Amino acid sequence: MPLAALTILLPLASFAILAVFWPIRHTGRPAAWLSTLTAVASFVIALLVLRDVAPMGAPPELWTMPWLVHGGRVIAEVGFRVDAVSASMLVVVTCVAACVQVYSLGYMSHEPKPALGRYYAWHSLFIVAMAGLVLAPNLLQLVAGWELVGLCSYLLIGFYWAKPSAGKAAVKAVWVTRFADIGLMCGLVLLYVETGGFAWEGFSWANPGASELVAALLFLGVMGKSAQVPLHVWLPDAMEGPTPVSALLHAATMVAAGVFLVVRCWPLFEGAETLLVAMSWIGAITALVAAITASVQTDIKKVLAYSTCSQLGYMVAGLGSGEMLGGYFHLTTHAFFKALLFLGAGSVIHAVHSNEMGEMGGLRKKIPLTAALFAIGTFALAGFPGLSGFFSKDLLLEEVAHGGQWGPLAILLFVAGLTPFYMMRVYCLVFLGEPSEKSNHAHESPLVMLAPMALLAIPAAVLGFGAGSFGELLGHEYHFAVTPVGAAATVAGLLGLGLGYAKFGMGQLASLELPGLAAFVRSGPIDNAWRLCWERGLLPVARNVGWFDRYVVDGLVNFSGWITLEAGDRIRRLQTGSAHDYLYAAALGAVLIAVAGVVGGVLA
Amino acid sequence: MAILLVPLLVVALAVIVLVADLVPAGGTSRGLGALTAIGLFAAFVATWFVPSGVAYAAYSNDGFTEAVQRIVLAAGALSALASIDHADEHFPRRQGEYYLLLITSIFGMTLLAGARELVTLLVAFETMGIPQYVLAAMHKNRKTGIEGAVKLYLTGAISAGITMYGASFLVGTAGSTQLAVIAATPPDAMLAFGALLVLAGMGFKLGVVPFHMWVPDVYQSAPAPFVAFLSVAPKAAAVAALVRIAAHAGSSLPGLWAPVVIVLAVITLTVGNLFALPQTNVRRLLAWSGIGHAGFLLIAFAIGTAEAYAAALFYLATYVAGNTGAFFVSEAVGSKVGDEVSGWNGLARRSPGLALAMLLCLLSLGGIPFVAGFWGKLLLFRTTWNAGYHSLVVYGALLSVVGLFYYLKVARAMYVEPAVDPSPIPVGRPTMVAIVLAVAAVVGLGVAPGGFWDAAVQAGTGVELLERPQLAIPEAGSPAVLGDFPLRKEKGARPRQADPGVEGFPFK
Repeated sequence: MPLAALTILLPLASFAILAVFWPIRHTGRPAAWLSTLTAVASFVIALLVLRDVAPMGAPPELWTMPWLVHGGRVIAEVGFRVDAVSASMLVVVTCVAACVQVYSLGYMSHEPKPALGRYYAWHSLFIVAMAGLVLAPNLLQLVAGWELVGLCSYLLIGFYWAKPSAGKAAVKAVWVTRFADIGLMCGLVLLYVETGGFAWEGFSWANPGASELVAALLFLGVMGKSAQVPLHVWLPDAMEGPTPVSALLHAATMVAAGVFLVVRCWPLFEGAETLLVAMSWIGAITALVAAITASVQTDIKKVLAYSTCSQLGYMVAGLGSGEMLGGYFHLTTHAFFKALLFLGAGSVIHAVHSNEMGEMGGLRKKIPLTAALFAIGTFALAGFPGLSGFFSKDLLLEEVAHGGQWGPLAILLFVAGLTPFYMMRVYCLVFLGEPSEKSNHAHESPLVMLAPMALLAIPAAVLGFGAGSFGELLGHEYHFAVTPVGAAATVAGLLGLGLGYAKFGMGQLASLELPGLAAFVRSGPIDNAWRLCWERGLLPVARNVGWFDRYVVDGLVNFSGWITLEAGDRIRRLQTGSAHDYLYAAALGAVLIAVAGVVGGVLA
Repeated sequence: MAILLVPLLVVALAVIVLVADLVPAGGTSRGLGALTAIGLFAAFVATWFVPSGVAYAAYSNDGFTEAVQRIVLAAGALSALASIDHADEHFPRRQGEYYLLLITSIFGMTLLAGARELVTLLVAFETMGIPQYVLAAMHKNRKTGIEGAVKLYLTGAISAGITMYGASFLVGTAGSTQLAVIAATPPDAMLAFGALLVLAGMGFKLGVVPFHMWVPDVYQSAPAPFVAFLSVAPKAAAVAALVRIAAHAGSSLPGLWAPVVIVLAVITLTVGNLFALPQTNVRRLLAWSGIGHAGFLLIAFAIGTAEAYAAALFYLATYVAGNTGAFFVSEAVGSKVGDEVSGWNGLARRSPGLALAMLLCLLSLGGIPFVAGFWGKLLLFRTTWNAGYHSLVVYGALLSVVGLFYYLKVARAMYVEPAVDPSPIPVGRPTMVAIVLAVAAVVGLGVAPGGFWDAAVQAGTGVELLERPQLAIPEAGSPAVLGDFPLRKEKGARPRQADPGVEGFPFK
């Protein structure tokens, strides 16, 4: 068994202990430490795994055992596949998970003990699920992990279960992603039918037409998990969960699982040309719509949620260029700086006890460390030259341009300007300006929260310089060069930052308002469209089906129940309890049987 | 002698218990139950070590005999175990006779399992039946106890009369008491008349409609551990006797019986299940459901192939596990709260273990995957379907659904209704062991039925008389045997392998 297996087994042990032995779970902090230690250990192991992993192209390190066997034939296996893709993703997942778990020790410290134990049990389960997904040797195990992270997402969004909105948001997340997973499941089944297995490479298609269909069906699932328009509506609501959960699941790792699926199954997607074009457009539109929506939010977590959505659109559009490196690298950098931003937002919320940016302001003086770390995240996301987001965005846009996707490229360049604009808005509203009443009582977060943020800030800042070795690991040449596209994106980014600071930091540019558009975006047009589909389309059909089920199907069932009860009630009177009747019945029966048999026998 | 080892062991056990009962043992005779259970279990184990063959041209030990004996002895041992607490509480001074009679009845069954000659068969049949009349009356100070026993006795007597009367026709027509000869006799009206009367008489033990009316009364009033035994072991023995009489290659009897048996099966299924529906007493409910299960057994018997016999044996094994378990729980619970379903309300909160055991047994009786009864029904239905009786399968499946309705009524009371009295129900240790064993069998047969099915197929194909007998002139100096046409020298051990025509266990 490879070393990487420990990244699953350690959190699994932690989860098993916390799930089974409830007295341990109810101890609260010891349970939290147990879970955190396994997460940190997983991170260390993942680093060791990454150190030793061979670059892409070399045969992967495989360890499998048969799982589904039918008639002596192994249909599917479970196990671990360690190669450049899985090892790098494993580091991202375990790093963010470990940071978030340490951070939660501070952030969740006011929770009651049993709730804290529950929280950490689910976090351990999440690492198990996510690492199982990442290390999957075939698509079936990947989907199993996919479902499990979905379950963890449901559980953790609904962590504050006493809040009705949290419960609703959890259900909505399940609904929307499940709806998308219908496509994923169909794709999985079709893949099995066409190739007789669940591998993503190493076979040839008997029916080439099916390959693109499989990829398209799988992509439907990706759209749900990675929150692509119009299936992104669950992600902003998912912010009902605790902020560290948003950082880990709904920003850095779980929502990126969709993008990761495309990267992982790249041999399936690579040749699907029509689909790739569609992916570019869907990704670009997602990036644009979400960025616009993010610009008008007043809740700091909602801004970040839409921003995540927008960046996921970026990644998908990047993958649609036909090159995988840019999208995947952006996934990696994004995981770090977006987790940093969410943890920073958590630190702010921790300080002022509110999500509303209108109630913040002037916090730079009060919580300077958080402000500095948040600034690193903001500039990384904005694509400020030198920071990680700059390199990954540059590479991604370069690939899109190289793929000749001019329409999506134009949109993405615009979003490259819009992103710094709304992030600058957040920074100005929260940290600059006049302190609000709540800001005056703010205190800097404890070290246990700041340290993981600081750790995340390192890759968020400098990971871009690792782009070369990252590309090498994945078997691509990459050298940074100044290109027209990159230059345009950088100019757009700086322009966005400048405009944002001018408008929200200095109070200039009052004319830069589009009240009509803002109101329209705030009204949630896509949510409304879904609601309309539901009310006008699905509900009437469901009512009719329900009527049929209630009165025809159930009616038949109820009728059969009624008639048997009635019959039972009638014939029970035959059982008189009198011994005479027993004997008459027996004797009469014997005679009837004998006579019937003899008559029948003679006739035959 | 070695061939007769199992019946002889049981007789020896009877003697030991009789003597042990005479020895004064310091006030309590609780040990007798344990002795009986251990002895019966020893006999159960011994079935694996008995050579195949024929003894005195009257008893043959083959795979089928062994299978039936195992079912009977397992049921007997479990019941003896579960009887320990009950006997101690209700008739502490009469434990000796209780166990002695139980063993005697089991002796009759073990003999019946291998009887290949009519007089042996009938004597074994009565040896099995007569002790049961007394056992049913163990609660002699309860009015219902006596009433049930008298009803059992009266119906039993008349069925015995019917059986004997039918047997006299068989012997008269065939000129021999050897079943092989009877089966080889060309059918005529006389033979048919006799055979059907025997069938009717056996129907009494099986609880086939219209010979079933004693069943609810006795099940309600007799000691519950004994009822657990009565509800399963005589069924196995009666099936064995019917198979012995019918299962000869070329025998005309199955063809003659089949239409009648199918009609009886349909009536029995219908009546058993419909009467079970309105019952509010757990024991009566189980009684009527048991009648329904007898209908399923009859279906297998009507088909009359080796595979059908295998299915019947397998069905019996699953039924033994589920039904004894259910009766053991009803003994433990019923002695505290009564047998009315309403008394069982909230059992899951009072005694979760007992409720779970009962639930598993009920699910097995109802045929839910993956407990034993599901496979019993599935294999039986598959056999029936393969034999071409498609409508019978559909009807049987429908009535299985009806069965769920009343089984789940009890489950509902246990799990959904609130408990009036939250105190847990005390269970004696022997009873608990018996319940655990029965439930283990329910789960074991449900989770890993493959091996048991293979064993049942071996037993079903192992019925010794399936080949047409070769008639031969008696050799000079051969021992005097009952009947005039002894079989030619029997082979020793017959090769034990599944008939290639019989399908293996599905879904390996």
